[in-house]
Amino acid sequence: MRQLLSLLLLSLVALFFAPRASAADYHEQLVLRPLPLSALLASFNFRSNTTLSAFEAHNFRFFPRSLGQILQHAGTRELHLRFSLGRWDAESWGARPWDGAREGGTGVELWAWLEADTDEEADRKWRTLTNALSGLFCASLNFIDGTRTTRPVMSFQPEGNHPNSAMTNVHLLYGVLPHEVVCTENLTPFLKLLPCKGKAGIATLLDGHKLFDASWQSMAIDVRPVCPPGGECVLEMEQTIDMVLDIERSKRPRGNPIPRPPPAHELKCDTAKPYHSGDTCFPADYNANQDWSLSQIFGKTMKGTCPLTDPNVPPVCLQVPNSRGVYITEGATEKKNLDLVSRCYEIAPDTPEFEMVLPRPESSEESGQAVAVQEVVKPETPLLYAERSFTGHGQEHGGVQTILRNPSPDTKVEFIYMETLPWFMRIYLHTIEARIEGQAGSSKQDPLIQEVYYRPAVDRARGTQLEVRMRIPPASTVFLTYDFEKSILRYTEYPPDANRGFDVAAAVITILNPNPNATSPRFAAYNLRTTSLLCSLPTPDFSMPYNVIIFTSTAIALAFGGMFNIIVRRFVAADEGPEMTLTAIKERLRKRFGGLLQKYRGKGG
Amino acid sequence: MDGGKVTLGRTAGLYLGAAVLRLALFTLFPGLADLLTGRVEISTPVTSFKRLQEGLFLYDHNVSPYDGGVYHQAPLFLPLFSLLPSLPIFTYLLYIAVDILSAGALLKIADSGEAGSSALFTSPRREKRWSGFVIAAVFLFNPFTIATCIGRSTSVFTTCAILHAISRAVAGAPFSAMVALSFAAYLSMYPLLLLPPLLLLCYDRQLPERAIKPGMRSAATNILVVVGVLAALFQMSYLMTGSWEFLPSTYGVQLTLSDLTPNIGLWWYFFIEMFDSFRSFFLAVFWLHLSCYVGGLTIRLRRQPLVVLTLLLGIFSIFKPYPSISDASLFLAMVPLYRHVFPLMRYTFVIAAVIMYTTFLGPAFYHLWIYAGSGNANFFYAITLVWGLGQSLLVCDLTFAVLRDEWEVERPEMAGKDIRQI
Amino acid sequence: MPRLLSGALRLRRDPRMLKLPPYLSLLCILVGVVWLFLLPLDEYSRRTYISENALLPGQVHTYFGGSDQNVFRAYKHEVNSLVGKSNVEINDKLESIVKGLGLKAGRQNFTYRSAGRVYSGENLYAILQAPRGDATEAIVLVAAWENAKEELNRNGVALVLTLARYFKRWSLWSKDIIFLVTPDSIAGPQAWVDAYHDAHDSARVDSLPLKSGALQGAIAIDYAKEGRFESVHIVYDGVNGQLPNLDLINSVVSIAGGQMGMGVAIQEMWGHNDQYPDRLRTMLRGMLKQGLGLASGPHSSFIPYHVDAVTLQPFGDGWQDEMAMGRVVEGTFRSLNNLLEHLHQSFFFYLLMQRERFVSIGTYLPSAMLVAANFTIMAIALWVKSGQPEGEAEPVKMEADGIGSGETTRAPAVERDLFLPLGVVTICQFLAVIPFYLFNHAPDSMLTPAFTIFAVINTALPHSLSHLLTTYYTPSAQQYQLIKSFSLLLLGMFLSSLATLNFSLAFLVGLLTSPLTFMRPWPQSPAMRTACTVLLNAVSPTAVLVAAAFAWHLDINTVLREAAFAWDVCGMYTPVVVWCVWWPAWLAGSVTVLGRPEVGKTKQKTT
Repeated sequence: MRQLLSLLLLSLVALFFAPRASAADYHEQLVLRPLPLSALLASFNFRSNTTLSAFEAHNFRFFPRSLGQILQHAGTRELHLRFSLGRWDAESWGARPWDGAREGGTGVELWAWLEADTDEEADRKWRTLTNALSGLFCASLNFIDGTRTTRPVMSFQPEGNHPNSAMTNVHLLYGVLPHEVVCTENLTPFLKLLPCKGKAGIATLLDGHKLFDASWQSMAIDVRPVCPPGGECVLEMEQTIDMVLDIERSKRPRGNPIPRPPPAHELKCDTAKPYHSGDTCFPADYNANQDWSLSQIFGKTMKGTCPLTDPNVPPVCLQVPNSRGVYITEGATEKKNLDLVSRCYEIAPDTPEFEMVLPRPESSEESGQAVAVQEVVKPETPLLYAERSFTGHGQEHGGVQTILRNPSPDTKVEFIYMETLPWFMRIYLHTIEARIEGQAGSSKQDPLIQEVYYRPAVDRARGTQLEVRMRIPPASTVFLTYDFEKSILRYTEYPPDANRGFDVAAAVITILNPNPNATSPRFAAYNLRTTSLLCSLPTPDFSMPYNVIIFTSTAIALAFGGMFNIIVRRFVAADEGPEMTLTAIKERLRKRFGGLLQKYRGKGG
Repeated sequence: MDGGKVTLGRTAGLYLGAAVLRLALFTLFPGLADLLTGRVEISTPVTSFKRLQEGLFLYDHNVSPYDGGVYHQAPLFLPLFSLLPSLPIFTYLLYIAVDILSAGALLKIADSGEAGSSALFTSPRREKRWSGFVIAAVFLFNPFTIATCIGRSTSVFTTCAILHAISRAVAGAPFSAMVALSFAAYLSMYPLLLLPPLLLLCYDRQLPERAIKPGMRSAATNILVVVGVLAALFQMSYLMTGSWEFLPSTYGVQLTLSDLTPNIGLWWYFFIEMFDSFRSFFLAVFWLHLSCYVGGLTIRLRRQPLVVLTLLLGIFSIFKPYPSISDASLFLAMVPLYRHVFPLMRYTFVIAAVIMYTTFLGPAFYHLWIYAGSGNANFFYAITLVWGLGQSLLVCDLTFAVLRDEWEVERPEMAGKDIRQI
Repeated sequence: MPRLLSGALRLRRDPRMLKLPPYLSLLCILVGVVWLFLLPLDEYSRRTYISENALLPGQVHTYFGGSDQNVFRAYKHEVNSLVGKSNVEINDKLESIVKGLGLKAGRQNFTYRSAGRVYSGENLYAILQAPRGDATEAIVLVAAWENAKEELNRNGVALVLTLARYFKRWSLWSKDIIFLVTPDSIAGPQAWVDAYHDAHDSARVDSLPLKSGALQGAIAIDYAKEGRFESVHIVYDGVNGQLPNLDLINSVVSIAGGQMGMGVAIQEMWGHNDQYPDRLRTMLRGMLKQGLGLASGPHSSFIPYHVDAVTLQPFGDGWQDEMAMGRVVEGTFRSLNNLLEHLHQSFFFYLLMQRERFVSIGTYLPSAMLVAANFTIMAIALWVKSGQPEGEAEPVKMEADGIGSGETTRAPAVERDLFLPLGVVTICQFLAVIPFYLFNHAPDSMLTPAFTIFAVINTALPHSLSHLLTTYYTPSAQQYQLIKSFSLLLLGMFLSSLATLNFSLAFLVGLLTSPLTFMRPWPQSPAMRTACTVLLNAVSPTAVLVAAAFAWHLDINTVLREAAFAWDVCGMYTPVVVWCVWWPAWLAGSVTVLGRPEVGKTKQKTT
């Protein structure tokens, strides 16, 4: 017992002394941003560094060993893994967090730079990587096979700093599983990778029920080598979780999640209406619910801070106008930033719990819109709006139409549009067309489509890869369309729910950085994904392989038999020729074999 | 019906009429061409014009069209169509010209009277025949032919090549016949099976002024010609596409049926529903079945090689991997050559009714399956079965009639009597 | 294969066989009709059942109600305040409401021109994006501002708004929900669905500004009735007689009838005692609606795009209120929301004869097919017969070919001269273009006179044609037989193809044309000839049209205008069938009746 106590004590001491040793190696931060229409964006960010030398020496401190060994085994230089669900509503929520760099399309998305001498070796390592990761994250990543893997040429660039010598034999592979449903079993291993394992710090707020009830959520893991100028290169691992919570939905008590109609007296009515009365109520409760607290939204308060985190980085930040008052538990200190729209909270290490309450603003008696302006920071407009949908109907032909809108009044936007399509969508590239709304076609001197990279699909072997570099003039909407043909598969190739259709992965849009410089070194200024699509193929009747085989064979037999009869038989008149009766057959047999018998007799005698 | 003696004016008028009709359909109904191009009854994966356009696009943009699952047609189409001016009207004119060339070849075949009296056999009924004019008209104004032309399926080139091969052979020009046949075989493989009867036809129709060569040598030379021309064509294709990968992508697809797009044939649904372990076996069986008719018919009908060619075309239009109504139209174009044995056929009305019924029911059931969603694949499959049976009935009936015609030469007194086969 | 048919071959030689066909085809017609009347019996019809297990209708609690009633009243006030306003003003108000609920709203203009009239308007629709969902699938809730009877759909629109607000609170939707408000019940939904599938002619219909995923189902609310109601009436006929998947109707029936305890009616059978007469009446009404192929409500336009849809109409006086209606919609949407695959399991071809009784295609198709078959039988018989020399009874081996003339291999030579018959039939077919074009392009005011003139010409046309024929060509009896044979063959072929697309239409046309089977020239007896002519004129398309219009107390103008509208907007092909299938057959039949073949004349002309 005493040993156990002492051991516990020791470990505690170790825990408390470790961060002082190298505090800068790990930090975590939660940024909360209320959005219009009573939504709340919560983005968690955890970052841990390990020096490359230590990594090579299998000396993992904050870097999770399980992942590290996989990376080393598969020779991965840089890894990006995304689990996403739902759709980001750009019209009302504005630009995406992290400029879209930390999100993927619906389902699971994985791309990595692998070190390999040949393509075959790269494929082999890729298979190893996907299988290992699928085990680690309980996701069916191992289904990323040849038909789902592509090698993008324009859309992706390594984020870390790689020595040019190493980049010569590094292969980029990209795989996506649009049908993968992200859920709790993916979150648990994700938290296990954290140094505090979700037992302390902001990770304690992460709860499967809330996370997967969010209107939009994206979990990201990025591993890349970073060489700070003058310092030694470190392997940086960044884990990000962004989610948009519907405040009203999240505030419902877990015991009673059903949205029963509230009692009449609790309805927020527009009393200005002439007909307003006790039993008639024009609802005025849109974009109310701007008052919330951490424990209401996440179902629990934050359990202190992770002792390993860098104390210089405030763990919680909130982006609301400075005019709004916020109540916090004591022990935490508020620091308003200079931009007047964000503030951060420092939390003393010994604070057991951290709670934050946003009260309803005082001026909420006025009409809704005015309140909305005051309550939340006006979201900035994204660089581009994209919406993709199918055209046509029936299960024979179809078309894909992407509507791209450049909202900025003065700057043109240049981006790369990448599609990875399954092989059974046979696209006709000669039908690809980009036209500006209201104009006939694209102008000759400045065409919309600058450059196309196309790798056609091969049946059952490889999917289509299409990358288009486009440039859209300011304040204009562009329709990008192309036709495709739905091919019919062998009946063994259909999934059990064949009539649901087949998921088509989201299109990846990478907006190029006009002038990459020191302040914004990334070559992509902004990333966004369209929604995924559901493509319904013609289905055979799964219940009758035997019938089909029998019927077809019968038809062939009839034709063949008919021809055979006519060819081999002799014509005789109807009244001549031997009668084909039993006696006739007997007679004939007797004649023949009787003759033989005679012969034998003759020989014998 | 003045057989054979057709004034040039009438023929020119016929061609003009056909051309005007097609051109009118092309221009007055702009949507019609694309509509028909999309129909599975007309364009198959190996003849579709839309796929050809895709291949052209890739070819013009230096992407190998054979490194993909869309384009399965012969490489020489690519330069041909990329040399064509981009205006659609030129494409229309090309297809119309091809149709008229085929009609011309057909007219020559008909007027040669080969169908009625070949080298080794002369039918007692041969006077009762139609002039080439009528036969060409039947071909040109057959709705199937017109639909194929408007749908711009590339099978019209094969049709044209086959018809020219036959007409040259009938005209006693074996060399050009062999060249035409090898073009047909190059475009879509299966015409190679027509080689044996065509050799016989060439041998029978050798011009008397040329020294009668013994059969073996002439056959050998002809085969050599075919092999040579094919080799040359393949070499050209290789030089053009820069690799041999067009072979698996064009002929391999026909052999393995990797593209299961529905068509009016019997293969697609069979191999959709086939168990994977038996797929290759049944592929072999189907191809064997397709080719087994060649030997039998050639031997049994040695005296009338043209009949063998006709029957084989009919059989191909039923049993080839990717048949379309253009194959049927080719067969139906050859059938009227045997006007003199029509009296001996027994099921003409049934056959006509079946073919018409399926022509109407097929699109209806396809619509129910693909667009309305209220029917399933079995609807369309059933119609393809009936279509196949109807055509095979026609083939059998024609064979019967021709054989009986032969038989009545040695048994003249049996004309009109009931007969049976033992 | 030939051996299979050799039996038939031998039968064909039998002279008695040739006496048989008329009776045979008469038998076919009778059996077909009797068959139809047997269907409502318990032995032939089946009880409905849910075959798509994912639907689970009525398995969920519905919570719509309570204080939503107050909201509904408020929206009702808003809707009432909009009555009489212009389409755009209405949409402005509704758009502000749905935007206030946090939905994405879009608008769409459409302008159809038909029979000289202009049908234009603006659709408004709002998309509730499924929380956690991806824009892959969607369900539609439609309320037309005016229902098919052009009554104001006040409660319907208000209910849609209330439901939109209610659905927004749920987090369980796996599919987007689209709320569509159209100015009218036919053109508006048609324009919207066409544009949604990009099958629209952009000159008449605008494209949609925003879209969602593949439509999985649609429910239309037609709630013009004020006050409480007793039962709900399900309207399910689509354009061209296509029907929604039976599972959808079953789910609505089991939710409304089973869960909510309200009555359910179909085909305007307000009271239905599950007995034979009522069943029969329901079925016949259904067949009539299907045969006409008109759009019967906002849902009709969805069905051709393989989107299963029904319209719900409350009727009767009872204690059910708007909230109950809302709960029915909620329950149905929860069921559709459960769907994993597009509805494909149950039946698409069926005849409902009570809300829980139906016959499937396998059971009823034979009746239509028999009626179609009688034409084919007669055609074949006539063909065989025409191969035999007149007055010569003993069998003759006959044969022919599709194009030219034939001959027998035995004297006396009887050959078929096919060019004249083929020509006559072809001309009849081509003449059909005239009425078709006329009635689809004549302006509204001209329709009635045009029809009158056409009817007059129509009665005179056969006489003039046959006069021309007899004077110029003097066709033989054989040729008349062939004319009849070919036209009957065509008719049978069209009808049997049509029976698979629109059973009822094929059946009706088949019945109305059945006299043609027995028409033949009467060279000797003028009485018979006149009798037949009168009979034929009684069942001519024009006469039937007038009779139908009279029976339903419509004026012919309305009928023709509706037909033209349905053809131009919804692509209803009933006019095509009437003018291009029925009318030519009728014309050929009349010509045959009026024919005067020279007796005993055998044509020797060779082609």
